[in-house]
Amino acid sequence: MTDLGQRAPEPDLEANAEAVESQEIAKAQSLWQIRWALLRRSFRNNWKLFRRNRIGIAGLVIIGFFATLAIAPSIFFATGFWSTSVYDPVTGLEPNPPSQQLEIVQTVTDPNTQIDIRQVLVDGRINGNIGDVIDVTLQPAPPYGKHWLGTDPLGRDILSQLMYGAKAAFGLGILAATVTVLIGTVVGSVAAFYGGKIDAFLMRLADLLIMVPGLAILIVISAVVRFQLWHLAVVIGILSGFGGVAIVLKSQALAVKVKPFVDAARVAGGSNARLIVAHIIPNVMPLSFLYMMFTVTSAIQSEATLSFIGLLNVDMSWGLMIQLANNQGYLLQGGRYWWMVFPAGLAVTFIAMAFFLVGRAMDEVVNPRLRKR
Amino acid sequence: MSRPLLEVDHLVMNYTTEKGDVSAIQDVSFTLNEGESLGLVGESGCGKTSIAMSLLRLVAENARFDSGEIRLDGTDLLSLTDEEMRQRRWNDISMVFQGAMNAWNPVYKVGDQIREAMDLHFHPRLSNAEVEARISKLFELVGLNPAMMNRYPHEFSGGMRQRAIIAMALSCDPKIIIADEPTTALDVIVQDQILQELKKIQADLGMSIIYISHDIAVIAEVTDKIGVMYAGKLVELGSTREVFARPRHPYAFLLLSSTPSVTGPRRKLAPLEGEPPDLLNPPTGCRFHPRCPYATDQCATDEPPMEDAGDGHQVACWNWKEVPELGGLTK
Amino acid sequence: MSQPLLKVENLTKLFPVSKGFLRTPTDFIHAVDGINFEIQPGESLGLVGESGCGKSTTGRMLVKLMEASSGHVLMSDKTHTDDLIDIANIPNDQMKRFRRRVQMIFQDPYESMNPRRTVFETVSEPLTVQNIGSLKEREERVSEMLRLVGLAPPDAFLFRYPHELSGGQRQRVAIARALVLDPSFVVADEPTSMLDVSIRISIMDLMLKLADEFDVSYLYITHDLAVARYMCDRIAVMYLGKIVEIGDTEEILGNPQHPYTKALLSAVPVPDPSFKREEVEILGGITKAINPPSECRFIERCPWAKDVCRTSDHPPLEDKGDGHYVACHLVESALTSA
Repeated sequence: MTDLGQRAPEPDLEANAEAVESQEIAKAQSLWQIRWALLRRSFRNNWKLFRRNRIGIAGLVIIGFFATLAIAPSIFFATGFWSTSVYDPVTGLEPNPPSQQLEIVQTVTDPNTQIDIRQVLVDGRINGNIGDVIDVTLQPAPPYGKHWLGTDPLGRDILSQLMYGAKAAFGLGILAATVTVLIGTVVGSVAAFYGGKIDAFLMRLADLLIMVPGLAILIVISAVVRFQLWHLAVVIGILSGFGGVAIVLKSQALAVKVKPFVDAARVAGGSNARLIVAHIIPNVMPLSFLYMMFTVTSAIQSEATLSFIGLLNVDMSWGLMIQLANNQGYLLQGGRYWWMVFPAGLAVTFIAMAFFLVGRAMDEVVNPRLRKR
Repeated sequence: MSRPLLEVDHLVMNYTTEKGDVSAIQDVSFTLNEGESLGLVGESGCGKTSIAMSLLRLVAENARFDSGEIRLDGTDLLSLTDEEMRQRRWNDISMVFQGAMNAWNPVYKVGDQIREAMDLHFHPRLSNAEVEARISKLFELVGLNPAMMNRYPHEFSGGMRQRAIIAMALSCDPKIIIADEPTTALDVIVQDQILQELKKIQADLGMSIIYISHDIAVIAEVTDKIGVMYAGKLVELGSTREVFARPRHPYAFLLLSSTPSVTGPRRKLAPLEGEPPDLLNPPTGCRFHPRCPYATDQCATDEPPMEDAGDGHQVACWNWKEVPELGGLTK
Repeated sequence: MSQPLLKVENLTKLFPVSKGFLRTPTDFIHAVDGINFEIQPGESLGLVGESGCGKSTTGRMLVKLMEASSGHVLMSDKTHTDDLIDIANIPNDQMKRFRRRVQMIFQDPYESMNPRRTVFETVSEPLTVQNIGSLKEREERVSEMLRLVGLAPPDAFLFRYPHELSGGQRQRVAIARALVLDPSFVVADEPTSMLDVSIRISIMDLMLKLADEFDVSYLYITHDLAVARYMCDRIAVMYLGKIVEIGDTEEILGNPQHPYTKALLSAVPVPDPSFKREEVEILGGITKAINPPSECRFIERCPWAKDVCRTSDHPPLEDKGDGHYVACHLVESALTSA
């Protein structure tokens, strides 16, 4: 029987890391140290699987890029690299906007050297007649040395807004995803475990939440209350957690519930709460994490939509940036004011895509059946 | 009197994996004569299913034949093109897959699914009426009511589905049927009925059958010849009667000594210690030596060749003469 | 030793065959239909039958994973000597104590351990939920159990996950988990049927050895008569929810009386090609016991069925001497006419 104990280590573990951890486990004084070592090992194994997936890595790189953006302003302001009066995304103002020499004409043929007479008449800040060459202050200003992504019509820095929006997007996404996973996991597990009336009640509620169109609900709610970003996160979390995610996790929990290890725990005397917390939830958790990624995607998209419609009470966000460009008539100008539209639009697209890609890659780690051999 | 139909000659097959080569079949040779039934017995992962799949050349993509030949009627199957091999599958060799009874497509009638297999593979093109006649003959042969061919799989019990699978395997009139765990998921009584049926069909049609099973008692019931496999190697080969009466290889001996039976004296059985090896790095020398009570120093270094132990009973073991008679270990 | 450890009286389990939404079901599968048996302390009873005969359902009712539809499971209570307690009437606050005395070993070693918990967590779980011992004591107890089931040295196994163990090792862990509370009765549901042949005997030997050391009785559920013979003192043969024959192992195998037992025995493959056996052909395949008629359950498949079988109810188990009970009209009539 002694040879049983000396079974070769799992070949897919990195041999030396395995050895180090085995020593740690052997030397560990408390159970927590052992748990920590085991957790690290399982994390490393999963990371090895994840690493093989290129789109997942691409997603992580994009997320990393936006995370850097989100952190950057705090550092810039703290180190004095940016002054608040100029670069604050909401209250900042460029005191010396750039200007350009333009000729006033009847019909503009070259927008870089000419300006329409009607625009001059409307704008109270400048005077002149056709044929005059005047100095026009550029606001919104296109990108230049001081403002890498230009400024908005109020003279605020677009890059700073973009960074601030990244922070808002992360906060919103992570909060919404956490709420989703908490609700989805608990509701799904409880419905699956107890079945019967509890299941019927929870699932009808879930059906109801799936049936109502999410955006419509958000619009209605925002009409009633002052809708802030974290409200939105919680509402999205409840909608998607109780709706689709709970149903998917319930079917997973049903599959776990009938496993003999759950019976074994029951025979050992485990209470229902213990069976759910110690046995069912840990086994549906990987799937919840997967849905967490997808929720981030949908939360960011909803935020952009709502801000664009103007129903969200936020200081600054990517949706709000696009809304501003639209409200002031800069959106449909054939790309002339691209710096006001594209950075925010691309940011929404890319971060939503990144979380989705990471989710897809995690799917392969979580569902071994999808793995390529 | 009977001539060799299938010859497997020093076959070596490896699976290429990320972690290295898995040695699934290591230098296996045997012959199957016309009208003969051969049993391959061993634990899961011993290579018996890999051999079956190799005979049909239905191996996984990462499988690699490194040497050896599989000759059917003198033609090396490994040298055929894919298309030539496809022509031979089902017509020359067909297979009852493990768990195939659960592989019926639930939305088509069973008869239609057999007809489809015949359309794809059977050579003499038959008219619809001829196909129908043939299927009902096959159903009778395997003990099913021919009217059942117009029923759906869910209307069949497990045993009936397995009988229909056998009918399908017979549909193209093969020379050899490979039956991979043909009765594993079935209850004892149904298992017995199916085994008896297979035996009868084999005798009636004069075909050859290769049985693959982990259950040594099932093999004992239905085969003329038996090959015992361990960790990718054939360690013992001989007539079923011989091998069961006097197993020569320590693994075969221990396997037989550790199989409970409803007959004979009630006795203490001898457990086989340890676990089968990891085929990524199989043990050096004899692959059984780490678990073998008769192992000597030589076993750890030199691979034992197949030796004749008399009467065509072959064994790959340095110390087969040390292995006691069955029952010598009882009490 | 007249006091049994466990006594099963008229135990019945009906499963409704669902008939649409919100309608009271009228059709029932009689999975277990009024069975009776006793298990003496330290004795192992084998429950043998084909799939769907109700053997697993019986096992699950005995450990209260399932409530009986009717009938009683009576257990002796160590604290109140002589009294048998109906496990259906155990109050909630005493359920945990009942759980200490009755454990189960499951069939599938790959599914009976939570893949996210280590060996230590799995084996110590019964101690944890029963609040036995400190963490240190639990660790010592688990190590001791691992050593007993042949997983030595325990340190090499304590913090492994199930996927790092072989099938045989997992089943050893499952046995350690079942015995860690020192129960007096263990239901073992086909514990070796999914293991490789070469591993089976060592697991069965381990269970026999531990039965002695822990003074535990098994209800050993299996479809394999040969395994039942190796493991059990007595065997009960089940067919469609009824026990048709029960008695000492060698008596049942050497002198089977019920036609079903005979057929089952004759169908078991024997690892001896020179063995010639008596063929007992029975008719048809196994059916489901949905609202079964009152006459003998085996009648449709019985090649010897007589008028008496068709006109009377399912025969009761009757003593044929030496504790060998058979439920068949014909066996009785053979005896009385002789």
